[in-house]
Parts: sequence; structure tokens; C-alpha cells
Amino acid sequence: MRFPKLGRVSLYVLLVFLVFVFLLPLWTMITTSFKTVQDVIYTIPLEPPLSPTIEPLISSLNIMERPLLNSLTFTVAATILSCLLGSVNGYILTKIRFRGSDMIFLLFSIGIFIPYQSVLVPLVLTMSRLGLYNSIGGLILTHTAYGVPITTLLFRNFYGLIPDSLIMAAKTDGAGTWTIYRLVVLPLSLLPFVVAAVFQFTSIWNDFLFGVTLARGSEAMPASVALANLKGTTEVNWNVQMAGTLWYAVPVLIIYVVLGKYLIRGYMTGAIKG
Amino acid sequence: MFTKDKMVTLIFFIPSLVFVAYFVYVSIGWNVVVSLSNWEGLTPSYKIVGFAQYANLLGDPVFLTSLTNNLILILLFVPGALFLGLFLAILLDLKVRAEGVFRSIYLLPFSLSFVITATLWAWMYNPSIGVINTLLKTIGLGFLKSGWITDANIALYCVILAVIWQFSGYTMLIFLAGIKSIPESQIMAAEVDGASGFNLYRRVIIPQLTSSALSAFVVLMVFALKVFDFIYVLTGGGPGYSTYVLPLMMFRDTFSMNLFSYGAAIATLLFLLVLVIVVPYLYISSRRGKE
Amino acid sequence: MVSITIKNLTKTYGNTIAVKDVNLQIKDKEFFVFLGPSGCGKTTTLLAIAGLVEVDAGEIWIGDELVTSAEQGIHKPPQERGIAMVFQDYAIYPHMSVFDNIAFPLKIRGVNRNEIDESVKKTAELLGISQLLNRKPRQLSGGQRQRVALGRAIVRRPKVFLMDEPLANLDAKLRVQTRTELKKLQRELEVTTVYVTHDQVEAMTMADKIMVLRDGFIEQIGTPDELYNHPSNTFVAGFIGSPEMNFIDCTLVEEGERLSLDAKEFKISLTDKTFPELRSYIGAEVIMGIRPEDVYESRSARGTTQDNTVKMTLDLIEPVGPFLLLHLRAGRIPFVATVKQTRAKVGQEVIMELDLSKIHVFDKKTNKAII
Repeated sequence: MRFPKLGRVSLYVLLVFLVFVFLLPLWTMITTSFKTVQDVIYTIPLEPPLSPTIEPLISSLNIMERPLLNSLTFTVAATILSCLLGSVNGYILTKIRFRGSDMIFLLFSIGIFIPYQSVLVPLVLTMSRLGLYNSIGGLILTHTAYGVPITTLLFRNFYGLIPDSLIMAAKTDGAGTWTIYRLVVLPLSLLPFVVAAVFQFTSIWNDFLFGVTLARGSEAMPASVALANLKGTTEVNWNVQMAGTLWYAVPVLIIYVVLGKYLIRGYMTGAIKG
Repeated sequence: MFTKDKMVTLIFFIPSLVFVAYFVYVSIGWNVVVSLSNWEGLTPSYKIVGFAQYANLLGDPVFLTSLTNNLILILLFVPGALFLGLFLAILLDLKVRAEGVFRSIYLLPFSLSFVITATLWAWMYNPSIGVINTLLKTIGLGFLKSGWITDANIALYCVILAVIWQFSGYTMLIFLAGIKSIPESQIMAAEVDGASGFNLYRRVIIPQLTSSALSAFVVLMVFALKVFDFIYVLTGGGPGYSTYVLPLMMFRDTFSMNLFSYGAAIATLLFLLVLVIVVPYLYISSRRGKE
Repeated sequence: MVSITIKNLTKTYGNTIAVKDVNLQIKDKEFFVFLGPSGCGKTTTLLAIAGLVEVDAGEIWIGDELVTSAEQGIHKPPQERGIAMVFQDYAIYPHMSVFDNIAFPLKIRGVNRNEIDESVKKTAELLGISQLLNRKPRQLSGGQRQRVALGRAIVRRPKVFLMDEPLANLDAKLRVQTRTELKKLQRELEVTTVYVTHDQVEAMTMADKIMVLRDGFIEQIGTPDELYNHPSNTFVAGFIGSPEMNFIDCTLVEEGERLSLDAKEFKISLTDKTFPELRSYIGAEVIMGIRPEDVYESRSARGTTQDNTVKMTLDLIEPVGPFLLLHLRAGRIPFVATVKQTRAKVGQEVIMELDLSKIHVFDKKTNKAII
């Protein structure tokens, strides 16, 4: 596709303008996090702070410290659990075929799309009956259970690409089903584990609905809820608000920069299937 | 024939089966039962009252406002995000240098939590010292200043704009994949046939993007129906009920006003709406996969 | 009069040379084939003629028009060159019907509806696909898709046809059938055609002229006859003709009045009256080339005393269609001979004759043909 020179220049101008549009809110998040209250009022949000201060970062951290740790705990735990289960399920659905495996997979897939509002009330009842209301354990259980369908999908798509002949060769060599899993399939699973883990970490860390339903005003409160509460307070100090947002955003940003391409693969899975 | 192998398989598979069966299907069923009961207040009550709750919904102005808002969201957000995403995908397909960098930047908002983006947009839309109004003032367009999300007439559209911003990177990604799956030889054939630039996209590339558009469409539609986090944090449903949506109504009615059966009815309705969109899509795409 | 002239064409991709210093002249209405193994640059050259790639050096004329010149910065876009192209994977538009596919180039140029209708129908009839006009590509077989691709190319009545291995994806039987049809079509339409292939049988049966390429360089340009009977180097000699020509390392020695090729295990005598060019190579190492079909069982009773006979052991008889391939050995030197029948048995010693009029001698150092 050849375009005249002038065309190329305006193309790049447009692209850079769009970068500005897309990053503007994030840029102001960063600048505002380092401003004093005075600066917030008297400088425009685009400008960097006149007298930078880390005070907002510190005060927001005081509020968010425990919630951030909570989030980290249940996110990591649920990610690991849902990925392990997803891998096992993917293996079972692709390599140990049985009657109804397609049906089961379809039933799992619907679990990916359901609006969680439609299970919220039973969920609350279940958690309180199990004594897991307002607890990290409850959040771990919830996120693992609702994460299983998508991790199963990811692993199933990936394991479907492993040639059956490989499995058959291992069988003729005398390996049993789960020995094959351990010695043949698992070593090939680094990529799907990374994709599933990155996708799950991001989804679970970013979650708000389950957090605000199951652990709202308690010790087990996730960072997302704490952040929302920060905004809900009547005394809105935008610099502290932005600093809190920055703290909450950091882990996902790091993952995005370092492992972004795996996250992208995760996003594409839903689209490419079928 | 229960070999050791099969036992182990069963043991490994059962937790997931239990999770999905219970947390998805049993829970949905349970929710439907609750919606058919008359549970109000903190003690559960399962006395079946038929479709009374649903009937109440139809007469509830908050419900009708919420439903309308969801529909407006669908009508504006879905095409908006699709077109912006397609536009970005085409731009990036024009052999841009550092395409990967631009792509990552446009996709960044999508990977962020709705709590984060809602907080950021609250800051953007703040009428007194927020980003947009200050920016307009600085570049001399001060007369365009507005109350944004504090103005009940346009608050919903402010929300829609913000979510289009958040989702365009995703639709861009889907379309880019679709564009790149067209074989190079076809593009060359089109060039030889005389279709280049605009014509090439219009007649050859875009028509082949229907399956990409469809999968993005489904994701966007489902979001438009179940959007909760974003609106809860950005406007809380206000001003008044101008940005109220069904998920928000369900949450408030259930957990703030303890109208559990009523909320369950809204949730069931939501579930059915999503089902109507997702099931045909899954059916079509599994049939296509077999082709 | 649409001829194609290429001068000093060079194209590199980074550090890899795709084509270097290609010079050739294609005549009006000629069926010209670019032949060579994968990666030899034949497709690159074709794309350069089409204007689908830019070149680093050289010029291309289509007819009287200079369409590409690296030195003068001229590059006419593909759609203005009056060319039509058929791709290996056909590249037909999956979302359009057969009719729309063929009509596409006309539609883009703003030709009116009636004319389009007529042209498409005529083209479809010519190719025997009239009944497929309403179908979509995914409902067609490989052969049918190929005709659609051809139809799209023909419908514009282009000045030049460019074809990139169009038969490669067809099964063997269909390939042979389509080969003949393509050649007939080209004769009928009288269009200058450039055809790329790696299959030397295809090239030999279809071409008026062939250019053999290897690693971006021209090995030889000539008619099929010239390439077969007078290959200019060992590469062309080995590439063309199946089974491959026999190559034997020899030394050229003088024995009285005659010259001989000494392969240690045997000697073949030539007379220098027939081969004057060999004089300067006396004592040098050369490569003797003889095609399997020019190696035959000796009928005469004179045995090994004749100039052109070699005693060989028969290792294997391979039936190939109407012929037999005899795999032989003269000492340790392998030979392949194509014969119609034989009474010899595996393991036996056979006396084979080499047709002296068909012997090729190549300079061992340069691989170039001496005779």
C-alpha cells in the first residue's frame, strides 16, 4: 500500500495524537499523585508538579496497605489453583476423550460468559454457610471456581495442538495416563501456563464485584474495594486518590510491560476459537 | 472398568466439575428460585409467589430507566467501540513502524481494572478542577466546559465515551488479527486488479472481517449488559438515576435495601438477556469450526 | 506488440541476494518460463515485472514503456502495467461469488454493468465454468478455483500474463491435463506469458523459451531443445531431464590421433575431428555427461574393444512406466540407463554403449560446457 510522503506524515501525526488521547488519563494519574493539594488546585492536570511530593503516595499507602496485601494473597492463590485445574481439565478434555466431553466443555464455556449478578445471592449464602464470608479464603474459593472455565478453555485450545501421535507413542512405550501428563504434556505447557497465569492474575486483581459483595468492609477487603471507598469519601483529595490508584495499578502495569504479549494471546483466545 | 488410571482421572476432574456445576448451574437455579420467592430483609424466605417479583419490575420506573440505559449503552457503545477499533486496526495495518508499540499503548486501558479507569475518568470529568475542563480552558475552548457526569442529561454519554476509550484497544486487537489472517497473495491479487488504498480495504479486506466483528460484538454486548464496576465507581448511578443500569440496580436493591427476591429477579433477567446473545454465537462458531 | 525487456535487474533482501544482474528479452506472444529450484529468484523476478516489489537496480520495459527503473526512480503501480497475474494459491476473494471474483478488475475500473456481464460470461464459457458463476469459492474444488483465478486474469484482456506456479497445488493427473489446456489457451489468446515453475517437465513441455535461475543468477536462457541438448553448465544439464544426466569425473588424455576420456575404471575414445574445442583441455580434469537414454546395451559382438563401450555390473532394475531404469556400476562409478527392455539379470555383467554424438564434456573447475 503506497501512500505519498505527506500521507505518511499525517498518518504518524494521527497515531501520536491517538496515543495522547489514550494515555491522557494515565498521565494525569501520575502527575497528580506527586502534587501537593495546592498544586492540584492551581496547576493544570497535564503539568508535572511544581513542588513534587511523595506525601500522597504515603498517605494512600497507609490506607491501602492491608487491602493490597489481601489482593496479592488471594490473586496469587486463585491464579495458581485455577491454572492447575485448567491444565488438568484441558488435558482430560483433549487427550482422554470420552462420551460427552464436548458437552461438558460447552457447559464450562457458558460459565465464562454468565453475568455474575445471576449467581451473587447464592454465592453470598454459600460463603456465609461455609463461614467464608468476609474472608480471604472465600475470595480464593470464589475466584478459583469462576476462573476454571476460562483456564480450561485456554489449556484445551493449546493441548489440542499437541499431536495425538505423541500421546500414542508414549502409551506404546508403557506410560499411563497421568505419567504421560507429567512427563510429556506438562513440560510442553510453559506457554499456556504463562498465558493463563497472566490472564487470570490480571482478571482477579482487577475484580471488583466479588470483592464488594463478599468482603466489603472488613479485614479481608481487596484493594479494588479500598480504592473505590477512597473515592467515596466526602473529603476527596485528588492527589491521594490518584496515588492510591497508582499503587493499585502498578502490578498490572508491570505485568503488561513485561508479559504483555502473553496477555494479548489470552485476549485473542475467545475470538479465535471457532 | 475402574483402573487406577481412571480413578486418578476422576479425582483430578471432580473438583472442577463440582465447581462449575455448583457455582454456575446450581447457583443460577437457586437464584431463579429466590426470584420466585418473597425474600425481603435479612432472614431468607423461600415462600414461592410465582412471578410476582417480575411483575413488580415492569411497573418500577427505576427498572425501566435502567433497562433503557442499558439499551442506550448497547446502541452507542457497541458500534462506537467497533468502529474505533476497526479504524485503529486499519491505521496500524498501513505498515507503520513501531506498530507493536502503538498497539500496546492503545490496548493498555483494556487491561486496567474498571475501578482504576472509573477513578481516572472521575478526575477527567470533574467540573471544577478536572482534566477536561481545565484543558478546554487552557486552549481557549472554555465555553465548551460542562458539568459532564454531574449533569443528568449527559452523564450517561460521558460514561459511554469512557468505556469506548477502554474497549477500543480490544476491538482493535481482534480486527488486526482478522486483517492479518488474509493471505498476502490476495492483497497482491487485489493490487494487480487495480484495488489499492481505500478500495482495497472497502472491497477486499473489510468484508472478510465479519467473523472478527462478530466475536468482538458478542464480548461488547455482554459487557454492555453486565457493566457494574465502572458505573458504581464513576457515578454510583447518578445524578439521580441517569446512569443507573440493571446490574447496579440489582446490587443496590439486594444488598443495600435487602430486597433479595427482587434483586434475584433482575439478575435472572440479566442472565436470560446474556444467554440470548451468547448461545446463538457459540452455536454458530462451533459449526464454523467444523467446516 | 508486447515484448518484455529486463536489464540488469538486481534485488536484495537485507543481506540475501534474490536476483542479480538479470538480463532477458521476451518476445511478443511468447510463452516464457522462469525455471529453477526454490529460492532461485524466479518469483522475485516475476513480482518485479508485475510491479509488486521494488528493485534495487535495473530496468524493466513492458512493450515500449519503461515501467521500472531503479536508477531513474520510476515505478509504475501494478494496476497500470496492463498485466494480469495468477498466484500459486489462486488468491481468489472468499467473500465474493465466482462471478464477482472475475468481474472485480472490471468493476474497479468502472466498466459498465452490461459490458462486465458480457465479458464475465464469455470468459467463464471459455474456461468451462459457466455453471459455477453463482457459487462461492469454498464450494469449489482446487481445479475449479484455479479456473476462477485464470478467469479473473483473462477477463481484462491484459497485455501480459504472469503466472506463479499455478499448477503446483493440483493433483498429478489434473496437472498434466491443465498444462495442455493452459498452453492451448495461451496460443488462442495470443498473450505474452511469463510462467514460473520449479518443475522442469512442465517447463519443457510448455515453454517457447526457458530461463534457468539458481541463487539469483541466470544459468542459461534458451529453447527447451537448446537446454536439453546443449546445456551450458552442469547445473542446467543435471536439472533438466529425468532421470538426471550421468556425470563422471575424467581426465582428457591424448592417445596418438585420438582424445580419450579417462575415468580410471574405463576409457571412452573420441576423435578430435568432431570436437575441436577439446584440444586446449588435454591433460585437464573434466566432467563427462551422458543422459541415461543415451546409454544402451551393446548389440555388437565386438565387446569392449569398441571406442564407446563400458563394462558394467547391473545392480538394480527399476520399472518406470513404459521404460526400465537400469542402475549399473562401472567399477565404483554409478550409471543410470533408460532402456525399453533387457535380458540381463541383476548381478550380471553387461556391456553398455555410450552414444558419442550425445556426450557432453564440462570443465571441472568452472562446470561450464565445453561441448
